[in-house]
Parts: sequence; structure tokens; C-alpha cells
Amino acid sequence: MDAKLVRGLEQLLGSAGVLAGANDLLLYEYDGSIDEARPDCVVFPRSTQDVVEIVRLANRYDVPIVGRGAGTGLSGGAIARRGGIVIAFSRMKRILEIDTVNQRAVVEPGVVNSDLTRAVEKDGLYFAPDPSSQKACTIGGNVSENSGGPHTLAYGVTSSHVTALQLVLPDARVVRVGSRAIETPGYDLTGLVIGSEGTFALVTEITVKLSRLPEKVGTLLAVFDTVEDATDTVADITSRGITPAACEMLDAWTLRAVEAFVHAGFPLDSAAVLLIEVEGVQEAAEAQSAEIAEVCRLHNAREVRRAADGPERELLWKGRKNAFGAVGRLSPSYYVMDGVIPRTKLTVTLRYIEDVGKRYSLQIGNVFHAGDGNLHPLILFDQRDPAQLDRAIAAAGEIMKFCVDMGGALTGEHGVGMEKSQLMPLMFSEADLDLMRQVRAVFNPEGRLNPDKVLPLVKGCGETRVNVLAVLSSGRP
Amino acid sequence: MSKGSAYVASRLPEIVGAEHVLTDIRVCAKYEVDGVRPSVAVRPGAAAEIAEILRFAAADQLAVIPMGGRTKLGIGMPPRQFDLALDLSRLNRVLAYDPRDLTCGVESGVLFADLDRQLAAERQFLPLAPAFADRATLGGIIAAGADSPLRYAYGSARDYLLGMEFITGDGVFSKSGGRVVKNVTGYDLHKLLIGSLGTLAVITRLNFRTFPLPPAQQTFLASFPTVPEALSFCAAIAKSPLQPKLVEALDRGTARLFAARGCTRTSGDAWSAVITAAGQQAVVERHARDLERMAGDMRASEFAPLNDSEQAALLGCITEFPRLILEAFPRAAIFRIAALPAAMPDLLRQISAALERQRLDQATLVRASGVVYVAMLPPTSRDAADENAPAKNDAAKNDAADKNDADENPDIRLVTAGREIMKVGVAGGWRPLIEWCPPSVKRELRAAGGSIWPPAGDEHFLAERLKKVFDPHGILAPGRFQGGV
Repeated sequence: MDAKLVRGLEQLLGSAGVLAGANDLLLYEYDGSIDEARPDCVVFPRSTQDVVEIVRLANRYDVPIVGRGAGTGLSGGAIARRGGIVIAFSRMKRILEIDTVNQRAVVEPGVVNSDLTRAVEKDGLYFAPDPSSQKACTIGGNVSENSGGPHTLAYGVTSSHVTALQLVLPDARVVRVGSRAIETPGYDLTGLVIGSEGTFALVTEITVKLSRLPEKVGTLLAVFDTVEDATDTVADITSRGITPAACEMLDAWTLRAVEAFVHAGFPLDSAAVLLIEVEGVQEAAEAQSAEIAEVCRLHNAREVRRAADGPERELLWKGRKNAFGAVGRLSPSYYVMDGVIPRTKLTVTLRYIEDVGKRYSLQIGNVFHAGDGNLHPLILFDQRDPAQLDRAIAAAGEIMKFCVDMGGALTGEHGVGMEKSQLMPLMFSEADLDLMRQVRAVFNPEGRLNPDKVLPLVKGCGETRVNVLAVLSSGRP
Repeated sequence: MSKGSAYVASRLPEIVGAEHVLTDIRVCAKYEVDGVRPSVAVRPGAAAEIAEILRFAAADQLAVIPMGGRTKLGIGMPPRQFDLALDLSRLNRVLAYDPRDLTCGVESGVLFADLDRQLAAERQFLPLAPAFADRATLGGIIAAGADSPLRYAYGSARDYLLGMEFITGDGVFSKSGGRVVKNVTGYDLHKLLIGSLGTLAVITRLNFRTFPLPPAQQTFLASFPTVPEALSFCAAIAKSPLQPKLVEALDRGTARLFAARGCTRTSGDAWSAVITAAGQQAVVERHARDLERMAGDMRASEFAPLNDSEQAALLGCITEFPRLILEAFPRAAIFRIAALPAAMPDLLRQISAALERQRLDQATLVRASGVVYVAMLPPTSRDAADENAPAKNDAAKNDAADKNDADENPDIRLVTAGREIMKVGVAGGWRPLIEWCPPSVKRELRAAGGSIWPPAGDEHFLAERLKKVFDPHGILAPGRFQGGV
């Protein structure tokens, strides 16, 4: 990178606001997924105006720009695939305004998800999207990825909780989209930008809706001897018109791995565990808990545990929240997949995944959001063994294709990023992708912002395999 | 039309079949948009036919407006040009519905009422609760950006529309989103089409998340002497642990309108708050207890649970609010303004003052989630309604009357009040939209440099660029959208 550009950035942000040394950059070459690419420098703006000036400099020197929150993303969204400047928003972490009466907050993009909830819970409010990384991930990142989480089953993903954005476009223009109100006449630019994975604009200010904390939460943990009983229970809960706030499942292999790690009290000989949460006024939580417990027993649950709020609830959630960590102890490498299927296809898909595992002699664990059909198969393999690696590649491809063939989707919450961009043709035609490309060009005509993400690289023959290989060949969770 | 009706008459029947090409002047009159009559209406039976029609229209620079039940074509500015009405009512198949999955996929011309019946048979529903419920199509409801009183609990279409298939202005099939309830694959282009009035693409398929019907439901009415008191009650509900399905407030004007429709429970001399609780019986009973106590604490002049028929009548009236207004007052104009709940009382006070200055009556409906509908009612229009004349003839008559008697032109007062309310709203930080008004008022507004749309912000160039991407030849509903798009 041009030394004059680095000097220009240092003049703008001070030398503490710019990292360009090789050792410093190491920390910014990856995110929560497994792709890697080193940026040429990392900058830490303190204001929208700083961001504007950074973008102007990047344009003058013709280098790519990539926005980054906490780097917890799971699809390579914050990786500088073509080098250039990473704009890290960790210094833009002020909560600018909290309006408890109207249940709104205005935040900078670097505010950590759970910090916002902490700031408003004394007023009985919280920010609803709850990705597992919520203690680290930023709201700017949530907006980019349209993040979900266990409780989005009932409350919707990030786009349902954001009403306005301030954007810095790749031409350094600052625009506001949306408003504080619940709707804004005109095209829904806010809805379009949310989930665009940092390829449309840099988000420098976010207006969010705050939700009212429920009066009562009921948490249930049900233990089953067969996977079918567990998936039938999920289907039956749905068909009875109960909408749990969360409905999570761990399969036999995963629950044993978790039990060995955190001692959550899962019986080692059980086939599946469901973790279900209901919320609302006291009467709603109680009535629904009772009904769910009944459905579980009807489907041969061996045991149903119920917890009140607080520590009991924490204990039941402990197993779920530590699942990935538990798996990490057991395998040199694993890959967290993120596919979605219609909820009615849970049983057949889990059976298919099991079959794929057998055919390829691979261990595949399942821990996922059963309530909305969002699967996270974990494929375990040893990256040092090329034969295992090849099998893992093929297995992952088959599972992904099966999800799409079931009427599902490539990603439910982790995003496309650089991990799945070459798989997009599984779901979208060339015409669909071309329109998406043109819409991106409305915001980002030169492709300077977060290049080579989301949409397949235009000439990609053979690259799908290379990409999946890259995904699988590192094992960082 | 650029190539004359002979060409059109030969080409279109090849695409859709002669019986689905309508050129009779009286038939085409039914497809008018803001008084602009198309020279042909086409009723395609499949998406492939639409694509071909659009390619043909693009090559010939024919302006096309897609439509379904034609109930909400009054929304938007008058079209700059309008040649071909694209009637989507033959695209009326429910393509996928698996009740156990709580999702469905429908063609855009499916009647809301038909889908609602199918869902209800499985004890499910779609929380769109549209006006003109018997004739509205799903494509039309979404394209018109219709609002629902159920958004208090269920959010708006953007929250439960899972994906779409559509055809862009150059006749290319496209899609975004998907059919599953959770999905972040690709850009959410379908969100742009919500409320786009057919200016970007023709919607052919919509995928929705459906919801279980609650096992029990009850509606309550609380009356208050003034607006601020009624809205304080709504605010208290928002701050409580209660989770009602619907919270609305309505003024005397709206209560009188509802009473004329057999909904006599709303008091004609006060503000009423309407709350519907839903869920298990114990949940409904809890709401009943808490709401009654809260109403007492806040000195409601009346608090009453409604019986089933009263509830059905009142919720029906609330859902059909714009239709009831327009049927009773064909020359009314209806503002739709989204604002933060705490700003609502002050905004309403300013609006009432503007209407009083213009000697216009008012009917108001507030969604406690943060949208207010204000109907501006010209006093003379009540007589017009009594004549029971069809709206269009009435409009023509009034247009003729305008020319003869400019001093008594009721449009002038609507335009003046409309511009004033627009100014007041914008000054408050809101973006008012005149969702409904007579075409003559739209033209007066335009002549005065205004619009039914709020002034576009500095992000408008993005809307213009998006329009060019989706509709490169500018043939889809030109001029209907914000900022002349």
C-alpha cells in the first residue's frame, strides 16, 4: 500500500488510529469463520466524518474498503479479500440516544449487542436480536448480516428491529434512509441495506426499536430416546398454534460432547434434547409451558425439566450455549454449516445428514434452531488427512444441496460472505444474480466496498470446489 | 399508443389469447387510474405471458400499470402515461400451503379473502387485515404498501413476507428471498417491492409466513373525553406487560362513521381506545382485569368488553376504515402519517387546527404502534354521498363544477389544508403521505408544486437509480411514485 495513503490516514486519525504493521494486521485477517486474507491497513474512525475522509482517501488511492465490527461473523463478511483498508468500528461505540417512551435507541455501529440491552433493561426494555456472539458482536455487524439468534423465532431478525440508518456510500456521500417512525414512505432502502453484508454502504448510525421485556419466561428441557420423537414434538407444538420464543435441538452425539464438557445433566444414552422457551404475561408462559410439556410426553419424552427465570434457566441454556466449544475439544477441525429447511422436513433431513455421515465415514453433529428449521450441522474432520478433507467437502456439498432441494435456503443467519458466494447458483438463476449485481452497483458502482462477497465471482469455473475446500480446510470455529 | 391499436390488437392476442385482450372503451374505463384511461387491458394467465407483454411494451414505450382487485389504485400520483392495464386476476392459484410449516406461496392475483378462508380452515391466518378485504389481491395489498391494524402484534408485511418472484420492466424473471421462515441468502430485493405501487416490477408470486389463530380473543372499548387521555391510555398499555393483538384509538368523526355502519358501541362524543386481547383464555382474562383497572386509574368515562357481534362489527370497521370513508365521502382525502407515539397528541392538535381553519371535518384513526390516519372531509361531500352516485361520475361532476364555481371549490380547501398538514408533519420530523384523495386534488397539489408524497430526502437519487435498474425503459406506472419516479 502506498505509504502516502498510510500517512494521510495517520494525519486524519492519529497514529494510534491506524495499524499497518504486519504483526498488528495478523489479528484482522480472519473473522469467526475460516477464510483468511490480510488487509493492508486497519483504521479506527471516531465519527461519521472520519469515515467520510477515509473513504475519500481510499478513492484517491484506488484501494478497497471493508467494514468490520467485532469480527465474529461466520461467513467471511469482514475479511479484506482483496486487501485494502479495513474500517474497524470499535471506537464508534457510543449509544447516542435512548428514548424509553417510544422504545427507540440511536447507536453507533460499534456498540456491542448486549451492551445496548444492558443499558436499557432497567427500564424493562431490551434489543431483541440475540446472536450467540451477542456479548461480543456489534450492532453494525448485526445490521450488515441481518443477524438472527435463538429468540428470533418469535421476534424476527435484525431487519424487524431497525427503522433508520445513516450510510456512508463508497463515493463518500452521507445519506440517511428510513426514519424513527415505524414506516417511511418511498422504497424500503433500510430493509434493502440490512443484510447486504457490507457491500452497499458503511453504516455509521443505527436507529433501533427496543422491545419490552416479557413478564415471565418459561424454559423447558425435554429428553428423547429417538430423534423422530423430538422432531415430531417440534411439529406438533407448531401445529397446536404455540409459537415458542425459542426452540433448540441437540442430537445424541452433540449432547454427549456437551455433557462431557459442561455437565449440563443430559442423559448420555438419550437421542435428542429439545430446549424450548415461552414468554409473555405470566398466564401465557404458564399455559404454554404446560401444553408443551404435555406434547413432549405425548411424543415419549423420557423426561421434561422446567425452569423458572434466573439461575435455573441459565443451567438449561448452558448446554446449548457451550455446544460449539464442546465440539471444539473433540475434533482437530470442524465446520459449522448453516442451512435452512421447511420445518416439516426436519426428520427426513436429519436422517439424510446421518446417512451422508455414514457414507463418507464422517462424524456430523447437529445443534440447531429446530423451531425455524435453521440447521447447523457440524462436520468433524482432520484437516491433516487429505482423504478426510475430500470426503468432508463432498459431504458438505451434498447436505447444502439437499437443503435447497427441500425448498430451503443456503444460509439462515450466518450470511453468504465469501464462504457461500460460489454456491449462490444453487438457489438463484443468472438473471436473479444479475439483478442483485445491478442493485449493488446502485450503491457501490465500482465494487470498491467489500469486494468479491455475496455474489459469485463472474468467471468461477472450478472455483466452487476451491472455495468449499478453503472453507473446510481450516478448522477455526 | 405509439404503434397504434392495430398492432396492439394483433400482437397481444397472440400472447394471451383474444378473449383476454380488452379494448372496449367502456371496459377500459374500469381500469382507469386517476381518471387516465388505458387503451387496452390485458389479462395474462401465466408469468411467461407477463414477461412477453412487458418486453413488447418496453419495445413500444407503452406505459403499463399492474393491478389486481383494483381497490387501491387511488394511491399514488396520477400516471404520466398509461396505455396498458395489466390485470393479474387470472394469476389466482395458491401454489403451496403446508399448514404444519406455517408458510404459503401464492400467485399475486389470489384474493386475500380466498387465501384467508383456506388458512382459517387450518386455524391459521395472515395478519395483513387489508381494507377492501373481499376484492383485494395479495399482490395488490403488498404493492400498495397496505397497513394492518394487526401490526401492533405481528409487525408489517416486511416482517413476514419471505420471498417473491417478479418480472422487471424489461421482461426478465427474477426472485429474491425464499420460502423458509429464516433466510439471509442474497439481497432482499423483494422488500423494495412492498409499497412500490408497481413502479419497479410485476409481482407474480409471494411467499408468506402464516400464523396460528389464537384460541380465544376479546375486544375492549375504553372512552375518554380528549385525545391526550386516550393516547395516554394506549401508552400505558405499551408500558405494561400486556401483549394485546391490536390497540387503536378513534375520534368522534370516525365513531360517527362506524355508527352509520351498525357499529354503535363507539361513543359519538368522545375518543375511544380499542384493544383486542388474544391467546389462551387465561391470557384474555388477565388482559380484561388489567385493562379495566388501568382504564379506571386513568379515569376512562367508559370501559366495556364487547360481545362477539359487537367485536366483529368494530374490528371490521377499523379494518375497512379507508373504504368506509371513501364510500361515505367520495371527495375525502386521507393522510397516513407515521410518527412516534409520544409525538402523536401534539401532531393531532396541529392537524385539527389546520382542518378547522379550512372548515373541514375530520375522522381520525390512530394505530398505537405509531401511524395515524386523518380523513379530511369536505362538508358538502355528505350530500354527495347521499346521492349514492358512483365515485367516478361524482368526480367528473365535481370537476365540471370546479370550473364554473371556483370560489366554492372544495378541492381548494383540501389542497390548502393538505399542504399545511404536510408542512406541519415535515417540521415535526415525519413524512406524511396523502394516501387517498380525488385526482383533481392531486393535480391541484402538483400545480401548486406539491404532491401527495412527502418531499423526498437526500437519499432520493438512490430511488431514481433503483428505478432505472428495475425498469430501464420507464414503462411501469411512470410518475406514480415519490419524487416523480
